[in-house]
Amino acid sequence: MATPNSLLLATADQLARFAPFDSMAREHLLWLALRLRLDYYARGEVVLGPEAGPAEIFYIIKQGAIHGEQDVARAQNANDWLELHEGECFPLGALLSRRAVASTYRAGQDTFCFELAAADFRELLKRSEAFHDFCTRRLANLLEQSKQVIQAEYAKSSSEQQSMSSTLASLIRGEPVTCAPETPLRQVLGTMHRLGIGSMVAVDAHGKPLGIFTLHDLLHRVVLAGIGLDVPFHVVMSPEPETLPPHALAHDAALTMAKRGFRHILVAENGRLQGLISEKDLFSLQRVGLRQISGAIRGADHLDKLKHSANDIRQLAHNMLAQGVATEQFTQILSTLNDLLTKRTIELELRDDPAAGLSFCWLALGAEGRMEQTLGSEQHNGIVFAAREGEDAEAIRSLLLPFAKRVNLALAQYGFPLSPNAAMASHAQWCLSLQEWKHICVGWFARGDALDQTTIFLDLRPVAGAEPLALELRTWLATAATPRFLGQMTTHALRHTPPQGSVLDFFAGKGGTLDIERNGSALFVDAARVLSLAAGGGQTTPERLRAGCAALSIGTQDAQAWCDAYLFIQLLRLRLHQEGHGIDPDKLNGLDKRILREAFRQARKLQVRLAQVVRE
Amino acid sequence: MKRFLSLFGHKPELTQAQAARLAAWKAMPPPKLDTDFAASRYVVVDVETSGLNLARDRLIAIGAVAVSDGEIHLADSMEIVVQQQRVSDHDNILIHGIGGTAQAEGVPPAEAMLTFLEYLGRSPLIAFHVTFDKTMIDRALKAGLGLAFKHPWSDLAYVAPALYPELASSKHSLDDWMGRFGISNYARHSALADALSTAELMLALRERMRARHVGNFRNLVHLEKAQRMTNWAG
Repeated sequence: MATPNSLLLATADQLARFAPFDSMAREHLLWLALRLRLDYYARGEVVLGPEAGPAEIFYIIKQGAIHGEQDVARAQNANDWLELHEGECFPLGALLSRRAVASTYRAGQDTFCFELAAADFRELLKRSEAFHDFCTRRLANLLEQSKQVIQAEYAKSSSEQQSMSSTLASLIRGEPVTCAPETPLRQVLGTMHRLGIGSMVAVDAHGKPLGIFTLHDLLHRVVLAGIGLDVPFHVVMSPEPETLPPHALAHDAALTMAKRGFRHILVAENGRLQGLISEKDLFSLQRVGLRQISGAIRGADHLDKLKHSANDIRQLAHNMLAQGVATEQFTQILSTLNDLLTKRTIELELRDDPAAGLSFCWLALGAEGRMEQTLGSEQHNGIVFAAREGEDAEAIRSLLLPFAKRVNLALAQYGFPLSPNAAMASHAQWCLSLQEWKHICVGWFARGDALDQTTIFLDLRPVAGAEPLALELRTWLATAATPRFLGQMTTHALRHTPPQGSVLDFFAGKGGTLDIERNGSALFVDAARVLSLAAGGGQTTPERLRAGCAALSIGTQDAQAWCDAYLFIQLLRLRLHQEGHGIDPDKLNGLDKRILREAFRQARKLQVRLAQVVRE
Repeated sequence: MKRFLSLFGHKPELTQAQAARLAAWKAMPPPKLDTDFAASRYVVVDVETSGLNLARDRLIAIGAVAVSDGEIHLADSMEIVVQQQRVSDHDNILIHGIGGTAQAEGVPPAEAMLTFLEYLGRSPLIAFHVTFDKTMIDRALKAGLGLAFKHPWSDLAYVAPALYPELASSKHSLDDWMGRFGISNYARHSALADALSTAELMLALRERMRARHVGNFRNLVHLEKAQRMTNWAG
């Protein structure tokens, strides 16, 4: 064909507005347009169903809407669990695996579909990598695209982007500069000065790292300590430095730096030094460094300084979004920093306080406990304390409550609003001894009448103080949950369903917005909690989903799709956190809406699966 | 002078090859009007002209889309701009968007009309407001090829209200009917885009056609005739 006519060009143009066609080469789109047929389906007409046998046609919606219904019994029911719109295609799975479709596809309104014969569909898979990629990893691909959009949004000002999922091996800048531990300090400092480097690693004859010394150490270990420059290097180095393997991720290094207050991480394989990663390598462009923040928090001697650090955490969060840090890692880093913030606040508030001598543990509950706190979410916390035989729990509590109140207020100042009616350590019912907690939980489990509180509590995680108390409580909880209680938890987890019907209906919830937490992320969180309680373990929702699915022999593909879906919703919440839990449809682009629909579809699948598992 | 002569049925000059192609078309078997739509090809057509005066205005472009075995095959579509001796006026160009240069650089009339005939074959024609398209195409075929074009046509402007009598009083134009079925148009008043919209309308009407047992082109022509009577009587 010489020159494609305007119809073929217009068809290619129309397709190019939608994924995956938007990333396909023009020649492939025209190749596709040449092979398309166009058919019409009246509202209610069945386009494709399981009884048609192996799928033979690839459909792309030109205009209109197609509803997918999972089984014939539910056909005509308003509870469509899948709705496809202009530019969307189906049935991918059935075509790829040469089987019949599992759902009935029905025109939700007068609909025109482009249709491509299966043979041409397969040929296109071979010709276009972008198309192949999309068809084989639909959700993952949309998420990837969405992430790029987000990165573009956030990173307009930064020229370089560092993925937190790069391996350390890819970040090593060159051969590490090393010395023998006996080398005189004067010689080492001369080398550092000559090469313009900020650190030196001592290695043994086999290249095993023995210690590290940085310019930062010079002041207090050498100058202020009054040590001469003729001492051997090993006298001033930090011995037994922390190492990570080369296949560890930038994210791991960042976490280690934040937790331990290091500025450098050694990369070693089989005991041999491979290179050095500095904080600068990880956050080359950030004005606010991870370690700087954690250092500032550790060194803060006043709440005002911590308030300042809380602002820095927000800035860092913004930067991390710009760098395309994966949601799971993002929330973990955020939680680590928030933990430090809480920990330091507790330390400060315990100074000269009567509560200082008590054995207690500060618990992060709810989202914070799951390490899934988003910016500005309400604080949920509690206290477990030790009360030995004969000790009066009430008396201990009266010492703890004023202190807890101050910590709660401080956290509110950092931007974690108080939750007056829910879990807070300064509420007497959330500040209990180990025995009291067990007693309360036995009642909760038996009656199943306080599921909202129970679920928040089941996410507990120690943040500061006597960790063994919290760990004992957690171990006990896992064994104390009865099958009957699990049944109640499941019913509770299924009490809300993902939004159904057309996109516009999604937003009919409250005042034209969709509650993305209640009808979105909470569905995954609640289901994952039940799975974890029943079978798995795990602290975060993705961990729980993966562990639960593994223990219950649910396919890892399903588990991954659920994790992806959940993390996407979390990402949306992070991006739109100013708006609270309600999502305004106008704020979402077409891609986001589409992924959100897919995420809701996954939520429904998860709920169906959960109901099955519990029935068995 | 040549233009003047053509008005009196002067035979246009065709090259030998062109004459042979025309003869080949004439020798094709006549249109099959009784074959079920599900197993036949018909062509939906739309034209752009220099104006709306049937007697005076000229054909500028033809757009056509084939419906085969009940589906539109995008690749089986054509669009051709007929070369103009005299470019149509400014307001007219604003309607169809075919500019002066494009008109002057169009395909010479004889070649253009032969291309159209060869694309058409003997498939029946469908349009919305046939009188206009038919008059323009007939005249262009006469002028360009000396052909007296006797071909089966069906007019959706009559078929649609016949199938949807409840809408007959409110729906008149192609736009009205496109609105009813949610049909979009990638470039309204481009011949090919309008032909596609008309073809989509044809597909959308099929549901009622089935109910009325209108399964082939001959049934369609009867339905249209009956509707013309209704309009005339009503």
